[in-house]
Amino acid sequence: MKFALAGNPNCGKTTMFNNLTGASQYVGNWPGVTVEKKEGKLKDHRDIIVTDLPGIYSLSPYTLEEVVARNYLLAEHPDVIIDIVDATNIERNLYLTTQLLETGIPVVIALNMMDVIKKRGDKIDIKKLSEKLGCPIVETSALKGSGLSKLIETATASAKTAALQPIVHKFAADVESSLTDIEGILSGVVDQKSLRWYAIKLFERDEKVEAQFKFKADTRDKINEIIKLCENQYDDDSESIITNERYLFIHGLMRECVKKREEQMTISDRIDRVVTNRVAAIPIFIGVMFLVYFISVSWLGTIVTDWTNDVLFGEYISGWASDGLAAIGAADWAQSLVVDGIIGGVGAIIGFVPQMLILFVLLALLEDCGYMARVAFIMDRIFRKFGLSGKSFIPMLVASGCGVPGIMASRTIENESDRRMTIMTTTFVPCGAKLPIIALIAGAMFPENSWWLAPCAYFLGIGMVIISGIILKKTKPFAGEPAPFVMELPQYRVPGAKGVLIHMWERGKSFIIKAGTIIFASTVVIWLLSNFNTSFEMVDINESMLAGIGNAIAPVFAPLGFGDWQSSVATITGLVAKENVVATMGVLHGIAEATEESAALLASVAGTFTVVSAFSFMAFNLLCAPCFAAIGAIKREMNSAKWTWAAIGYQTLLAYVVAFIIFQLGSVFVLGQPFGVGAVIAIALIALIVWLMARKGYDPSKRKASLSAVEANS
Amino acid sequence: MPLTFATAGKKAFICKIKGKDDVRHFLGSLGFVEGEHVTVVSEMGGNMIVNVKDTRIAISKTMANRIMVADA
Repeated sequence: MKFALAGNPNCGKTTMFNNLTGASQYVGNWPGVTVEKKEGKLKDHRDIIVTDLPGIYSLSPYTLEEVVARNYLLAEHPDVIIDIVDATNIERNLYLTTQLLETGIPVVIALNMMDVIKKRGDKIDIKKLSEKLGCPIVETSALKGSGLSKLIETATASAKTAALQPIVHKFAADVESSLTDIEGILSGVVDQKSLRWYAIKLFERDEKVEAQFKFKADTRDKINEIIKLCENQYDDDSESIITNERYLFIHGLMRECVKKREEQMTISDRIDRVVTNRVAAIPIFIGVMFLVYFISVSWLGTIVTDWTNDVLFGEYISGWASDGLAAIGAADWAQSLVVDGIIGGVGAIIGFVPQMLILFVLLALLEDCGYMARVAFIMDRIFRKFGLSGKSFIPMLVASGCGVPGIMASRTIENESDRRMTIMTTTFVPCGAKLPIIALIAGAMFPENSWWLAPCAYFLGIGMVIISGIILKKTKPFAGEPAPFVMELPQYRVPGAKGVLIHMWERGKSFIIKAGTIIFASTVVIWLLSNFNTSFEMVDINESMLAGIGNAIAPVFAPLGFGDWQSSVATITGLVAKENVVATMGVLHGIAEATEESAALLASVAGTFTVVSAFSFMAFNLLCAPCFAAIGAIKREMNSAKWTWAAIGYQTLLAYVVAFIIFQLGSVFVLGQPFGVGAVIAIALIALIVWLMARKGYDPSKRKASLSAVEANS
Repeated sequence: MPLTFATAGKKAFICKIKGKDDVRHFLGSLGFVEGEHVTVVSEMGGNMIVNVKDTRIAISKTMANRIMVADA
């Protein structure tokens, strides 16, 4: 048996799906988290498959989500549609319900968030509503998990007894007669079950449905005539007629079945007046993000990380491991592999996991309470100035956890050039794996005063998105107006502890798994390469294969201030996974300092960098080509080798230029070194960037105009 | 008057939505239909958050300009 979960965006479908199947799919408190449908088996009823469809407002063909959902319903024909209706805005939700009922598939309504309605003192006459709609209604609360067994029972019963959904709701007589005429033409052509659905879609002139039928010219004319007649009667286009009829029907239902208290400003509205205030919105956003990164990287994070790094790994684990290995008489190289290679490398990452987890908790809190959706609205004003819509900010929010889902989230952006630009710039926002780099530099270079560095890294990313946006929008492939911004904002709510912890764990888990697999393998390879020469003799690290490779690459990074071979190698290994940057540092610096009492990574790193070159190193690693997993995601979403290369090429070039400017000018102004050729080039580069941002740029409308002028002359 | 001129916090009703394209139909499925009551929650450089049918919708200036309202 197959159940499909359908409903408006952010009405609790995925929460319901997780409750029903025991899965832990990503749930966010903003619309559009589920882009593609997901399948799972019902808990305790393994023979029932549940499909979670993306959230939709209607079954029209305007957005990707709507097309995915309706194709599934019509082609796969599930046995029951569980329509999740958010009782707190029942009127808008029922708009979709009326369309689901028309598909002919039996519908069961899960009236969700009933607890909120009761608390508000509103009343819904469920029995009457069920009669008027012609389908069973079950009260549920997805958040609390109540009403689920009743829902499953009702849905199973409907699937067994009702083969066909009776369509109770009717439109105005004129519209009905037009629909009956179209049904007459269609009868025999389509399945009796979905006759009304197809009649309505043809009446609405739905192009995707029209294309399915290969009507003869005279049949098409006949249908057109029916629609035209009705359109003239109502002086409106057919699709709007249907929209209005649906709302009229729902209005009637509301009058009869729903009793609401007089509307007043809700708490959500009051919060919105403050946080989306014209003047205060952006300072509030900056303040919030500043706090998030300050708490997770500098304040609370450092306390936990210092302990794991210095005490847990520094003293206990590596102490035990070397003593233990010595006691069983392991060879020197084996001891070195375990202590310097694996514990030094993987440990360096594990040490930063607490910081990541704190970051994830804070981000999850912001998402869950509903603030992040407002940020998209706030940023729309800024993004629009350089031709991206606020919708592009959603992928960037997701990317602050991990770039791969961030890049995938760009799929909801309809406009192709907007989408490409979003994909190219999304990974500038530092992801969780880049956090250790920031934390390492913060801890090593600014041990006393690092509070500003992590927020600064975040806003460096956002700043680069904005600068790139302005520059790219002036080039030919990206020119054009951004699509208008429309987005539903969820209600503010107190985040649930369970949801936040699940979020944190889901995101944190993948890093721990990565540490055990990719990072582990990488550190072993790095250890091998850094201890042996090309003829596989164990040598001093400076004569190893890795030193050779590093020294060959190092000159490339010399103008950026980190031309030593260790940093070069760390940057390259960062392509495998960004955590590797720190892991490699852990292996290489661990070995170099092995003779000293303290093998602390921080002290050793502090020795290799100046304040300026450390900042440049961090900037380059944050902005340059992302890890292989993210590059793979870029390739899938761009669906073109040319665009993929363009994206990584642009990212790396920008990273190089930014790091160059930071190092060259930083050396002069911060370290007080003489003003040289490098600084001159850096200033020239800044001038170039300013020019690229300020120039007039390509204007598609102008080009057309000048072409026609030429034609006119000839 | 276009929605962009409406005062925040005051109820208004939609008298007309201009245009006959996809955007208009999408607005329709979100609850923006003629005769419906709307309240502007907040406004930011022409972009606005609007309360319609018990939900808050954020829309950009170009869209808001196409929705004509009158004081209720």
